[in-house]
Amino acid sequence: MTFAALGHLLPELILVVGACALLVLGVTRAARRPGMLAASSCGVCAAALAATLWAGIPDGTAELPGLALSGMTFYVRWLTLLVGLLLILLNWRQADPAEQGEYLSLLLFTMLGVLLTASASDVVVLFFAIELVSVPTYVLVALSRRDARASEAAVKYFFLGALSAALLAYGLGFLYGAAGSTSLSAMARAIGSGAAVSGLALIGLLLVFGGLSFKIAAVPFHAYAADVYEGAAAPVTALLGFIPKFAGFVALIRVLDVFGWAMSPGVFWLIWATAALTMTVGNVLGLIQKNVKRMLAYSSIAHSGYMLVALLVGPRLGEGPMSNGVTALLFYMAVYGVMNLGAFAALSSFRRGEDEVERVEDLSGLARSQPGAALALGVCLFSLMGFPPTAGFLGKVYIFSGAFSVGADHAYAGGLAVLAVIGVLNSAVAAAYYLRVAAVCWVSPERERLAAASGMSGRLGLTIAAVAMIALFVSPQALLSKARTASEPVLSGRVAKGVSRLGLDGTSVPSDVSAEGYVALSE
Amino acid sequence: MSSWILTLVIFAPLAGVAALALMRGENKRAIERVALGTSLAAFVLAGAAAVLFFQDEPRGGFGLKATYAWLEGGAAEDALSGGRGPIGGVDVAYRVGVDGISLWLLLLTAFLTPLAIASSFSAIQERVREYYILMLLLETAMLGVFCALDLLLFYIFFEFTLVPLFFLIGIWGGSERRRASVKFFLYTLAGSMITFAGVLYTAYYAYRSGAGAFTLNLEELMRLSRAGAFPAGVQGWIFLSFAAGFAIKVPLFPLHTWLPLAHTEAPTAGSVILAGVLLKLGTYGFCRLSLPLLPEASRAFAPALAVLAIIGIVYTALAAWVQTDVKKLVAYSSVSHLGFCMLGLFSMKLAGMNGAVMYMINHGLSTGALFLVIGCLYERYHTREFAKLGGLARRMPVMAFFLIVFTLSSIGLPGLNGFIGEFLVLLGTATSGSTMDGLAPGPLGFPYAAVAATGIILGAVYMLYMCGRVLFGPLVEPVQAGGVGHGERDEHGDSSGHGGHHDDGHGGGDLTRREVAILAPIAVLCLILGVYPKPMLASIQAAAEANVFSVDDRRQAEGGAAPGGWRAAQGNAEFGMQNAELTCHRAEDPRGPVVFLAPHSACLLPSSGVSGALRAGRAASVASTGGAQ
Repeated sequence: MTFAALGHLLPELILVVGACALLVLGVTRAARRPGMLAASSCGVCAAALAATLWAGIPDGTAELPGLALSGMTFYVRWLTLLVGLLLILLNWRQADPAEQGEYLSLLLFTMLGVLLTASASDVVVLFFAIELVSVPTYVLVALSRRDARASEAAVKYFFLGALSAALLAYGLGFLYGAAGSTSLSAMARAIGSGAAVSGLALIGLLLVFGGLSFKIAAVPFHAYAADVYEGAAAPVTALLGFIPKFAGFVALIRVLDVFGWAMSPGVFWLIWATAALTMTVGNVLGLIQKNVKRMLAYSSIAHSGYMLVALLVGPRLGEGPMSNGVTALLFYMAVYGVMNLGAFAALSSFRRGEDEVERVEDLSGLARSQPGAALALGVCLFSLMGFPPTAGFLGKVYIFSGAFSVGADHAYAGGLAVLAVIGVLNSAVAAAYYLRVAAVCWVSPERERLAAASGMSGRLGLTIAAVAMIALFVSPQALLSKARTASEPVLSGRVAKGVSRLGLDGTSVPSDVSAEGYVALSE
Repeated sequence: MSSWILTLVIFAPLAGVAALALMRGENKRAIERVALGTSLAAFVLAGAAAVLFFQDEPRGGFGLKATYAWLEGGAAEDALSGGRGPIGGVDVAYRVGVDGISLWLLLLTAFLTPLAIASSFSAIQERVREYYILMLLLETAMLGVFCALDLLLFYIFFEFTLVPLFFLIGIWGGSERRRASVKFFLYTLAGSMITFAGVLYTAYYAYRSGAGAFTLNLEELMRLSRAGAFPAGVQGWIFLSFAAGFAIKVPLFPLHTWLPLAHTEAPTAGSVILAGVLLKLGTYGFCRLSLPLLPEASRAFAPALAVLAIIGIVYTALAAWVQTDVKKLVAYSSVSHLGFCMLGLFSMKLAGMNGAVMYMINHGLSTGALFLVIGCLYERYHTREFAKLGGLARRMPVMAFFLIVFTLSSIGLPGLNGFIGEFLVLLGTATSGSTMDGLAPGPLGFPYAAVAATGIILGAVYMLYMCGRVLFGPLVEPVQAGGVGHGERDEHGDSSGHGGHHDDGHGGGDLTRREVAILAPIAVLCLILGVYPKPMLASIQAAAEANVFSVDDRRQAEGGAAPGGWRAAQGNAEFGMQNAELTCHRAEDPRGPVVFLAPHSACLLPSSGVSGALRAGRAASVASTGGAQ
């Protein structure tokens, strides 16, 4: 690696330097000025974003050990940094001002993890990146408020997270054993050419899927979500709904890339069942929640289910313009990240006495005391519901169109159509609990006036999220074409040949696409 | 102008929403004026649209069309696909346009909304600004549904109607408003989510069967459907998914249970809009999407739907009879009436179709008006119980007059509008098996009409019974009107609107001038449509032929190439394309019994002399020999 090649990693470098600088700044006198550290972390984030946009889409020629830059890198970079800016906005104030430096630098580190996940071209780097996402989040949960519940949530999150890390490491080990290399492209070559040991590769895939299921909170690894969301403060919960989930899905895309998106019946039905269960369990349990944050935790589980549908469709199963599941997934991830953040921003902009807003009834009559905030919260809720005219609706259009875009003659067409119907019915179930919150805000009489939380940052985040949801509905083109560009190489280049010999293939692979296509793109 | 007008109509109420949101202070009068003014402006614009439509367009087709790109894939995606076809070919756009069917429903919506808004002036005392914002949002959504020529756009507006109505019922409704609004929302949402899946599948199938793009353009889909792109099995699935959403909306027995509750709990204006327009979204969906896009499946499922419709007609008529609440009685009568609409649509005859669309308009007028009258009663007495009301004709003669007029219109007295629709629906149903109108035999028949007709008798029974109880006999008025209502209303701590503040002390003054001004236009329209329905029927029929039964695709293929080639003859009186004037040419298409109608040359004359006449002759001959191709 030459020194010049580092220039390709400018956004990542800015984040590393900025995060370290914040750690140092946190103990100096400058930190005592309120908002000083938050503003500087905003600056770091914005600088990284500017570097990302300035560099544009990497052409993939940079020689970096363990990293390969692609269209996906670009998409993940700008989206993470943009949502990251909003997250810093929400986390403007911390429970303990003395910990502010650590807190904000951890926030930057976890974002760095997501960025690296997207570029990792080696399983070791991939594992490292996923852990870089996870470890700071454990600490952030603990730091988020001075409350025994936060500590409990952090410990719970940490132990289960460690378990999932073990699963992930074990699975990646199996993949290494099967292919004989830690490089993702070499693995793809080995698996594509049939040189890999198919049994080991399959076990590896399943373990990796299990480990990453924890990150995206998919059934049966979802159980921690409700407790952790409830325990952590709302601004951190907003982060938990986006950062680990995004990293998990990006990692899943990269792993399925290695397998050339070949879906053997076993793998297909496993992901199918996971998606169906995740949607259904999330929504049904969401129905009976009285705590808003628990409810949103289950909603986040359900949304993972919708995104798993897109992952299942992938870039290769369907046909036609709406068939690329990865595009749909990337689009939905962006929309979900923002609308979910909006909902938590609303919760963090009000206090009930000393406490956070927790129960659904706490929001009673919000429309009368705070009509603007109630309207913005309503937009975010209807977007989560998948209701027009919000971007959440378009996200569902893309995901479920993808599921229907599988030809009737395809072996999985029926399965995917059923999954799409399960998905839309789930949206109707989900509507019931989102609607309850909306009804409480608008219909119920005011019980106890909610005090606005100090500072405008929560309000600002909420407003930005709500406006973004409407704007993305009216004009989705920009985001959509970015998502398409990010997922195109997945569609056209990285298709491994001859996977059928592995018994992993449910489709006929076009023989003119060679494994070399993948290598050329990623190296 | 003509391409902008529909967009203006649809979004005119949003201008009012913006104005209301930005207004300072809580000046009730000003807010009401802005809301009423905006909705009246929308009505004027809709009227202008109607004038432009009849000036501009060849009859039958969609007029006033406009398209703005929305979800279209750009060139960048095409480049990436490497010449493998339009990978970015997503053709989902903002497309609007109206034909002779949707235009009337558009006008109905624009007509009823200002009346509903004006009727709320005294009833709504709380959270006034929010109320009118929601009413105007609802109007935009309803207008949008009737103008949409893209399935996704249709769906978006269709779905969005739920949100404002949810809050209208939930905030300003009766004592059970929470339950009613949630049930209404979830019930209809559950159905329409399945419709959503069907819409997406339709788009994919259109792509697959040669549209070249993931398209939801209604006209393109109609063209594909005529070309036989949708096989029967696929049609069946799509039909069922559409029906899931539309049947709940209509509502069709046994999915109607949300309706009486929503109606009884809704504020008066909400009931007027709900009965007047929102229920029609279901029948309109069947008529706009299911029948033209899925003709074979419609034919196959028609008997089942008709049986459900008939059960609904009779069952809900009986249910209406035993109600003790006036509003609930009218709510049940709505279900019964909409059953007739369904019957007319699925008779798959021109007469039935004409009748069904006419019925939608009539029902919107007369039932909407009935809810308005009941609202007036309720504001005075705070009760709708039969037991507490009686002999009011003496106390309120003007109210009695209107109630009787709308009741008679509702039960289909000849000379008023209800009769025409009812008659045509039953005619269409009874003669469904025949080929009188040149269409292939429909799936229904005389027995269906015979059973359904009992619903008319029952309708007359319960409606007149209601009139008799409320208007005649010994005078019964609730004691201390006002106090009772306030008590039950405020049990949740927030008074929800119907305050009855304008009470004049002794409970029942007759209708005020404002109320008369609201009801009189509807009564006049009922009379006009009852005496002279011809223009409306003519345009409905032309639209039904072109866009529902696709009888004239050959005619358009031939003549449509030259714009204006199929102008109505100027001298021909009032759009006079009637059944009798049509020469029927039957032609068997290889795919199945598709029938073409060609107009008699006396009825339609090309606008431009000899070449046009030649074209007409050629069209007729193509139509008659069309099967050979």
